[in-house]
Amino acid sequence: MDVAQALEDILEELVSIQKDINKLKTASVSGQALRKRVKEAHKKWLPVAGVLEAGSLVDSAQLQEVSGAWKAVVKLAGGAGSKKQYKVQLKTIIEKTESELLYKFIKGSAIQTVGDTLRKLVQPIGDPELLKYLDESIQCAETNCIRGSVVLAWCAVAYLVHKKLTSLSVGILNSEFAKMKADKGLMFKSFTKDYVFSTELDVQEAADAHLILLCRFLMYLDDTQYKHLKGALDLRNGCGHPTGYQPDPVKLQAYYADITQLVLLNSKFA
Amino acid sequence: MLDKLKADFDEIIELVNRAPAPLQELAFKMILEQWFSANIAPKAVTPIPAPAASGAGAPAAPGGVPNAIKPFLTANGITAEILEKVFHPTGPGAQFLAASIPGNSKSTKLVNLSLLLCVKQALDSGSFTCTLKELRELAIHYDCYDSPNFSANLKTNKNYYKPRAKGAGLELSGPGLKKAGDLVKSIAAGE
Repeated sequence: MDVAQALEDILEELVSIQKDINKLKTASVSGQALRKRVKEAHKKWLPVAGVLEAGSLVDSAQLQEVSGAWKAVVKLAGGAGSKKQYKVQLKTIIEKTESELLYKFIKGSAIQTVGDTLRKLVQPIGDPELLKYLDESIQCAETNCIRGSVVLAWCAVAYLVHKKLTSLSVGILNSEFAKMKADKGLMFKSFTKDYVFSTELDVQEAADAHLILLCRFLMYLDDTQYKHLKGALDLRNGCGHPTGYQPDPVKLQAYYADITQLVLLNSKFA
Repeated sequence: MLDKLKADFDEIIELVNRAPAPLQELAFKMILEQWFSANIAPKAVTPIPAPAASGAGAPAAPGGVPNAIKPFLTANGITAEILEKVFHPTGPGAQFLAASIPGNSKSTKLVNLSLLLCVKQALDSGSFTCTLKELRELAIHYDCYDSPNFSANLKTNKNYYKPRAKGAGLELSGPGLKKAGDLVKSIAAGE
């Protein structure tokens, strides 16, 4: 059963019933046709409720609340129910179904399938060190820990950036950082930090923002690529620190598409 | 290379002259782009080249757009620069760049989103399709999901999609492709 489609159909019908009830000039809903429509809509709801109950995508208390409102509205449809009570129950059903059931169901099913999408993006990566971080990141995503997923995927990016830069040797790295500091071009003039590394391990202490700027300086990335990678780092920082920001699976997919294309599968970082 | 360009130039001009007058400048630009990408070694710019092999799933040039989408780009005058302003990357794994979807109402936004999603899918696989599941997920992300009217909105704009069974995914029709092309250009122009 396509649950989202079924819920949309039910909502469409309920909104229509709600409008017709609002138009009534009587205090009760006694017309057979309207009452029949309510009962028909309820018949469509029952199998959907069964599927939702069997799954784990929606909160069972919210489902119970909607089911309770349905019972009440069907009871009203058994006779000439009060218009006022109809309006209250229909409003509850429509609002709760939309916000607590349908939205949650769609977001939940996106979580269920996000892992497949992410695996497809990283599928060409063969480096076991990178895969260690990416596998864990994808597992986070599949359990709805999107922020954890973002942070762990960045570990793979940082690993590869460090690996590439340290492959130049510490001496060259120190010298390139110095050249970048001396560069007064638009892109680099705000970089004022002095870095002097003694060992490769020291590079891990450098800010990722500076390391990716150096990648731009060394032309591993062009301006546009750098801009997008900086955006990915901003998202990582937003997720790795206490903020109110909560990215959704759509944002995570875009982030993965960026980091794989810009670094993880970029031949310049191989 | 300059000698080769001189040799091919007359032929290029002849081809340009076959295009309607208002499109000649664009045709000239596109043919030149194609000429350079064919005659300069691999690092040449992102291709937006003349129609090549088409059909769903047609392979992409390395780092480029799938061949199947090239006729759509050519027909709508969408250059690599335009495409790069809307999708990143402009090939497999493409993601929509804009923070919001154009439109003044949820219904317009939803339809525009469906068109862009189909183009995104085409960049990925070569087919101008999207599933309703994907559309709903993105509609929530872009705040244009109007659940009671979701089906009705798509139905109202059914000329943009090929005929389909209820609940089935969307595939762009001719008018849908045209509208999607206009949308991509207007987003790139910052409209």
